[in-house]
Amino acid sequence: MAANFWTSSHCKHLLDPEEVDIVLPIDKERGISVEDFKLIKLHMANYIAKLAQHVKVRQRVVATAITYMRRVYIRRPMTEYDPRLVAPACLYLASKAEESTVQARLLVFYIKKLYSDDKYRYEIKDILEMEMKVLEALDYYLVVFHPYRALPQLLQDAGMSDATQLTWGIVNDTYKMDLILIHPPHLIALASIYIASVLKDKENTAWFEELRVDMNVVKNIAMEILDFYDSHKIITDERVLAAMMKLNK
Amino acid sequence: MGDGGRAGNSSNSSGGSGGNNRPEWLQQYDLIGKIGEGTYGLVFLAKIKSNRSKSIAIKKFKQSKDGDGVSPTAIREIMLLREINHENVVKLVNVHINPADMSLYLAFDYAEHDLYEIIRHHRDKVNQSINQYTVKSLLWQLLNGLNYLHSNWIVHRDLKPSNILVMGEGEEHGVVKIGDFGLARIYQSPLKILADNGVVVTIWYRAPELLLGAKHYTTAVDMWAVGCIFAELLTLKPLFQGQEVKGVQNPFQLDQLDKIFKVLGHPTQEKWPTLVNLPHWQSDMQQIQGRKYDNAGLYNVVHLSPKNPAYDLLSKMLEYDPRKRITAAQALEHEYFRLEPLPGRNALVPPQPGEKVVNYPIRPVDTTTDFEGTISLQPSQPVSSGNAQSGGMPGPHVMPTRSVPRPMPMGMQRMQPPGMSAYNLTSQAGMGGGMNPGSMPVQRGVANQAHQQQQMRRKDQSTGMTGYPPQQKSRRF
Repeated sequence: MAANFWTSSHCKHLLDPEEVDIVLPIDKERGISVEDFKLIKLHMANYIAKLAQHVKVRQRVVATAITYMRRVYIRRPMTEYDPRLVAPACLYLASKAEESTVQARLLVFYIKKLYSDDKYRYEIKDILEMEMKVLEALDYYLVVFHPYRALPQLLQDAGMSDATQLTWGIVNDTYKMDLILIHPPHLIALASIYIASVLKDKENTAWFEELRVDMNVVKNIAMEILDFYDSHKIITDERVLAAMMKLNK
Repeated sequence: MGDGGRAGNSSNSSGGSGGNNRPEWLQQYDLIGKIGEGTYGLVFLAKIKSNRSKSIAIKKFKQSKDGDGVSPTAIREIMLLREINHENVVKLVNVHINPADMSLYLAFDYAEHDLYEIIRHHRDKVNQSINQYTVKSLLWQLLNGLNYLHSNWIVHRDLKPSNILVMGEGEEHGVVKIGDFGLARIYQSPLKILADNGVVVTIWYRAPELLLGAKHYTTAVDMWAVGCIFAELLTLKPLFQGQEVKGVQNPFQLDQLDKIFKVLGHPTQEKWPTLVNLPHWQSDMQQIQGRKYDNAGLYNVVHLSPKNPAYDLLSKMLEYDPRKRITAAQALEHEYFRLEPLPGRNALVPPQPGEKVVNYPIRPVDTTTDFEGTISLQPSQPVSSGNAQSGGMPGPHVMPTRSVPRPMPMGMQRMQPPGMSAYNLTSQAGMGGGMNPGSMPVQRGVANQAHQQQQMRRKDQSTGMTGYPPQQKSRRF
């Protein structure tokens, strides 16, 4: 349901990790590897965040848009659904779903400003058309829950309100992975808090123990995030570009 | 469909081009005709080809003119309905997109009746109040659906008789379905204040705190509307029929408040402490407080003894202070529902054998309009009255052939008197079925004529609806 995560479509449609990074056959033929696939999604998550900064929408809209984009590529090939169009279309749709509608012409304006590359160039009508295709690809399930909602209360409860900014930043980074498709948002929030306590040298074991959650899952999510940080250091623009080249319009 | 050129030449999976101008998904339905129209678009009645006993209401959203893609209203409605599952809430069965003209279609289980039509039937046709069992069952189911929505943090915001649907004959006969979620909101951590967007509840059912300028919606605004609807079910007359002040940005609705105060008396700060903080309170002070309101007494208006549990429940729904107003969950527990007659699942057919069953009219269908909303340009042939099977006509905007002529109440025009048309028609609606045994098969000539007379616009009352004939019917309570 719309306000209860446990009865929501979001919860029902959570995926197993193996189900997420599957390159569809038609994309494979173009030479897109799993690594490319991840890189492109990461790049598009960044693109959505950048665009969002310009059109000034809240973080929740960004998070919803990235979730939509990641859900789209579970079912649709990148070679047919150009990420460079899907990304702004997802932001556009998310802005409506989260009740802070952004105008399509504004998106087009900032796209041009951000990228001189012709491959990014799309017009209003392209975005509107892709909005519908995205809706269809999402099977019209639009409600997304995010770790942000639970964060302030959890931090306060853990006596870590001073680490709000740090933790918030970690949560933002989780959208550079597919975690939101796999785990309930509150567990992602807890994993982010777990990392923040380690970074801040804050002893929180007792607090975590008292929560009625599976700490193994929380720790695994935290490990994944840390792994991502490690691998992120070696991602170069060239690699992203090479992956994007395989999409060619 | 029609306007294929607009969307460019991108791959079009629905393949809606060429001689057959209806997309594949649409072919699973037989279109019967148009049953409503609103600012967002049109509502059609259709049957599922594979299961002809099943009727579907298809709401078509217009592409917004400003090049803003799918309307945010449609997005919100889909978003909520996709998550909702309750017997007393309308069921979204399918969503379709036609990429050719970028139109969006929502398919719902069809409900044959709605409270607007049921009330009107009693008032204007049978001239008799609705029996106690039906009133209680309708109210209980409405509250049951609302309690589900509220406990899931959804405020409907636009409850009115025409949005409360009731299923026609079939397995769910007489079951209430709350419909039209175009204005509904999830009110948990909204990014915008909930009163934003300018659109709000139809004025007659609007809660006093909103009339006085409150910016935040709470579930209490829905409960006020339920109170108004309850009273209307009892008296067959809208409880507070104010004249709406049209204008930009939530103008001060003096007349509507005046109508409320005349019945309930002027609210006092003593009973409603936060009253003074409401934005329009100052206007109210200047324009209304000078007037004297002798509390006419709600019980006089609804003809109930103050000791009657029905009256007790009603007055708790019409409590001025939203924080003191009864909630849906509390209302379901009210004594009223524990006394005979007990509420039942089929609200329209009382279980007691002695009770008379009212045959409600079925929804008028404009069979001349196709999915594009274009009126077929067939010369309106004079139809010989004996020609019952005139379903399949030739031509490009063909309506699907109907194997069973849909019975239609005679005198469709009368069902839509000018001036009070429409605001009932925006809802979609319930199972087909001829509840009108003596009715005539559709005659195209009549339907055409009727169509011209109908102004199916979502224009909420305000004109022409003020003077009902004085009521002379016997009172039950």
